[in-house]
Amino acid sequence: MTTWAPLLRFEGVIAGYGGGDVLKGVNYSMEEGGVTCIVGPNGSGKSTLLKTVSGLLRPRLGQIFFKGEPIVGRSPREILKLGIVQVPQQHSLFREMTVHENVELGAFLVKDRSVVAERMAMVREMFPIVAERAKDKAGSLSGGQQRLVEFARCLMLEPELVVLDEPSMGLDPKTLRIMLDTVKMMNSMGRSILLVEQNARQGLKLSSHGVVLENGQVRLSGTGDEVLNNPDIAALYLGGSVRAKMAASTSEVKENT
Amino acid sequence: MNGTALIHSIIDGILTGSVYALMATGLTLIFGVMNIINVAQGIFVILGAYLSYALSVHFGIDLFVGLAITIPTLFLVGIVVERVFLSRIKGPEKVVMSILVTYAISLVIEGILNMVFSVNYVELQAWYVDRSVRVFGYWLPYIYLLGFALAVVLLGALYFMLYRTRFGASVRASLADQTSAALVGINVKNVSTICFGIGIAVTAAGGMIYGATNAFNASSSYDLISRLLVIIVLGGMGSIGGALAAGVFMITVEDMVSVIWGPVWSSLTFFLILVIILSVRPQGIFGKLEARLA
Repeated sequence: MTTWAPLLRFEGVIAGYGGGDVLKGVNYSMEEGGVTCIVGPNGSGKSTLLKTVSGLLRPRLGQIFFKGEPIVGRSPREILKLGIVQVPQQHSLFREMTVHENVELGAFLVKDRSVVAERMAMVREMFPIVAERAKDKAGSLSGGQQRLVEFARCLMLEPELVVLDEPSMGLDPKTLRIMLDTVKMMNSMGRSILLVEQNARQGLKLSSHGVVLENGQVRLSGTGDEVLNNPDIAALYLGGSVRAKMAASTSEVKENT
Repeated sequence: MNGTALIHSIIDGILTGSVYALMATGLTLIFGVMNIINVAQGIFVILGAYLSYALSVHFGIDLFVGLAITIPTLFLVGIVVERVFLSRIKGPEKVVMSILVTYAISLVIEGILNMVFSVNYVELQAWYVDRSVRVFGYWLPYIYLLGFALAVVLLGALYFMLYRTRFGASVRASLADQTSAALVGINVKNVSTICFGIGIAVTAAGGMIYGATNAFNASSSYDLISRLLVIIVLGGMGSIGGALAAGVFMITVEDMVSVIWGPVWSSLTFFLILVIILSVRPQGIFGKLEARLA
């Protein structure tokens, strides 16, 4: 039983696209202030779960609570106002707009121009690329640079919860390290982070908490280390015994034929 | 053919092309933000022309002064049409459904205009409609110059709105990617409604100039919409800069062909250019194929 007040709580969340359900009753409570990494095989519903948090997908059943407040049915705009910002899997910068314009749009909901200017100065300091390439079109940046600008943009709203969907996707090892450091930095600034990571080992190492999603349900959750060191999980998702698993599936195929 | 006539046709093409560019900008803005092909744009231009006609004939209001009434009126008509009919169109068949719905709207408006104004051709009248001024040795109709000035002013205002305001940033973001726009807090639905209103509002100005330079009835909308669609396809669907360039280019070429080979060939050339350019560059001159296909 949870003794702390969760920042984000999923209660029996069922959601999907068209007629089919991808999430089949997700129950999980996320602690405030940490980094929670969701891992799982392709199609397990990781990205779908994030979409239900940001309001891009309305669950068919169940409820999600943010600081005790129900958020299902709210628009992405209303959810942003609560302090939840999502950086989607695909690059989401507006390619024909400048880097400065893109970052400024992160504070679209902030009416006070002086506050926007203040935050812009802050992110320019944190992410030098925002200042260096301010007038360049966002589409001219490399994948890694775009990701950093997306991070800068999401901080313009000073969110309480940052939702990252596979932030390492398509990044080279050097940029990946910078990205991981940036996630740590955002967390150290007091932002709670909920991320889905294709590189499960990398993601769990970075995280205070881990969740394994399988077939639309939470199979296991615990601290990042617990999940990382769980032998079953290691075998299934972290490459612990890939060879054994492959051998098993090969013999299965042979038996079937 | 002589050189003077050719230069004259180029000047005329640029002047009238700017008005077509204005009307096409409205159409491409609507497509870019909403993924709606508004085939009723032609009839809205004619509606704008008839509104100017009614204000001029029945109330003696000058054509340009009347724009202070017709532009806001058509903006509101656009808002109502979007909220009542178009906002309900969703799903993967949205583009096709939008063609059907806006075609139905077009037919209804055409029927009403025929009932109210009859099918007889009318033309807008004002002191500047039939007069010309000599500029560098060329006689230029006042209405062409005023139409050009009006188009420049309105396109300038549109540019200012798009590139210098917060709302403009939200429009450009919505043009680029609606999901990402929603994720930064832009109310894409409201942006769509206002953009549709703006797209229809510019037809008031376009309609007034069209009505002052052509005799028209409700059926004139068919020729107009085919030209406007050619312009936005050629410019690249959703590209505002493309609509501007293609509008001026196409009308100028049409005027030049009319002078060189005769008016019979000008309309044919209009569509021939479309076929040739699209066979080389299917996304249009300024369009981004990958962005549209994504």
